[in-house]
Amino acid sequence: MSVLLEVKNLKKHFPIHGGLFHRVVNQLKAVDDVSFVLEKGKTMGLVGESGCGKSTLGRALLRLHEPTGGTVILDGIDITKLEPKALVDARRDMQIIFQDPYASLSPRRTIQQTLLEPLEIHHIGTAESRQQKIEELLDIVGLRKHVLHRYPHEFSGGQRQRIGIARALTLEPKFIVADEAVSALDVSVQSQVLNLISNLQKTLGISFLFISHDLAVVQHISDDVGVMYLGRLVEKATTTSLYNEPRHPYTKALLSAIPTPDPTIKNQRQILKGDVPSPLNPPSGCTFRTRCPEAMDICAAKVPLQVEVGSKNEPHWVACHLYEPS
Amino acid sequence: MSSKKPLLSVRDLVVEFTTERGLVRAIDGISFDVRHGETMGLVGESGCGKSVTSLAILGLIPSPPGRITAGSIQLNGRELVGLPESEYRKIRGSEISMIFQEPMTALNPVFTIANQMKDVLSRHQKIRGKQAKNRAIEMLELVGIPSPDKRINEYPHQLSGGMRQRVMIAMALSCNPKLLLADEPTTALDVTIQAQVMEQIVKLQHELGTAVVLVTHDLGVVAESCQRAVVMYAGRIVEQAPIIPLFKNPQHPYSAGLMASIPRIRADKVLELPTIPGTVPDLLHLPEGCRFADRCQYADDRCHKEQPSNKIKDNREVACFHPCGEA
Repeated sequence: MSVLLEVKNLKKHFPIHGGLFHRVVNQLKAVDDVSFVLEKGKTMGLVGESGCGKSTLGRALLRLHEPTGGTVILDGIDITKLEPKALVDARRDMQIIFQDPYASLSPRRTIQQTLLEPLEIHHIGTAESRQQKIEELLDIVGLRKHVLHRYPHEFSGGQRQRIGIARALTLEPKFIVADEAVSALDVSVQSQVLNLISNLQKTLGISFLFISHDLAVVQHISDDVGVMYLGRLVEKATTTSLYNEPRHPYTKALLSAIPTPDPTIKNQRQILKGDVPSPLNPPSGCTFRTRCPEAMDICAAKVPLQVEVGSKNEPHWVACHLYEPS
Repeated sequence: MSSKKPLLSVRDLVVEFTTERGLVRAIDGISFDVRHGETMGLVGESGCGKSVTSLAILGLIPSPPGRITAGSIQLNGRELVGLPESEYRKIRGSEISMIFQEPMTALNPVFTIANQMKDVLSRHQKIRGKQAKNRAIEMLELVGIPSPDKRINEYPHQLSGGMRQRVMIAMALSCNPKLLLADEPTTALDVTIQAQVMEQIVKLQHELGTAVVLVTHDLGVVAESCQRAVVMYAGRIVEQAPIIPLFKNPQHPYSAGLMASIPRIRADKVLELPTIPGTVPDLLHLPEGCRFADRCQYADDRCHKEQPSNKIKDNREVACFHPCGEA
């Protein structure tokens, strides 16, 4: 398997202005030193609670947020160093599906206009071939041709999300960021859209970064999963390894907090104390230590390093002092 | 628990809304009971009428455009439909309380927590001043807010989402209501905070003996905390049953489909998630027969023409001509 996306030490810090002269008084480290690799045709899930920086990470990869530091290499090209014009071309290979299908489609454009726009911007094909292309796309996402002349408000949430997916597919990208793509949908529709995404991944060989707060959804769709907490990636593994043998205390707590849809199982729940600390003033050392049931002295002093705990077939690393060789 | 009569009894309730496009029947003849001290789940997808049901019980249907056009709601034998607003005000907050989905919009941003909690206590329990404040601090402690004597003087924006929801719970329970309506109380919260809040609701319910109606789309939460559940679809109740048989052996094809399509942590990966084909019907253009017929794999001619009535058997009720698990 070859590498499609390589992220090294990616940082996104937002300056906080304040005081008399509107000076920068603090930095909000939304994404802090995140590194990972995504292989061609694979899906990586990214989980974490609200405010952990998962959406910022997804956007920084596409340079929808300008990264503060680090590199993003997509298919051999360093995205972070591209000039504006070259970036436009590079964006053909990377697309995004947004969370809210109600807000991410222009209400004044017909579906046809929305879907044709990317092809027109990039001067792809003739008018005739473009038309043919978008009709094919509608077929792929399970909508009929006659919807082309309709406006977004005429569709249900699930249908709109299918249109959002079709739009992301028009330029035949290699990589798609799906940011909470099914979270706004009802369960019965959610599973329809999930099945569509996993079919696309299989038939078109597109790599996805699938961002979600729902661990069950992520398990279904991903090959690898990364867990984020306060701007840092704390654990990453193959899906099987992460769900069967979670190592980081935060991952364990996340998994045990999910309600089981089976009334006969009363699971021993490990409930975390307290709230996520403010990212403006994160705890020293390991940022999870304030809520961690196993926190030690060293956790406050040192940022934990990545420790490899998996096997050759099931790579798995965790950033936690519990697993550091003494 | 003590008496055999249900605490709340809803019969053939119909709620209609006048819209620009026509008359919408958001709830179409639903009947259910809530017993003393039980936790009942009210489940369904967006637009099925579950929130309208809880608003109707509280007498909070915005009118116009909404109106209860038929049916009755009885609390301890007392009819609530048609009750004058002045009477309803005495019931709300003292006998029936509610927790809303978004605690930030349910709390007043310009008053402190102390102010808002004392307001409830002075109105319903006639306790004021220092005494009311002490009672409020007691309640905050009960819902697990650290250093409640300091927190009580803060404004809602100073608290996190989980904390705000706890304040809502404390406020809702401060007058010992007999019935608590919780409308998606944990939907806006993260999983780890959701677990904290649900634990708190269940614990308090045991301690205070309050009956809880949990309105939610999350079947996982229902499975963990309810004794019974009512499943709604397009304004009607399709099934109601005790929790274990409902999850083990759902009888209405919609309940069965809903159970199957919940994403859950599985030991082995499945290739394709089970789905329910199609989408919820438009309430303005409802089918003549069973509302689920267009999406149902068992539907036949009769389902498309006639509305199924509720069949009651072994403590459970299902509105279907071809319930699952029966020939």
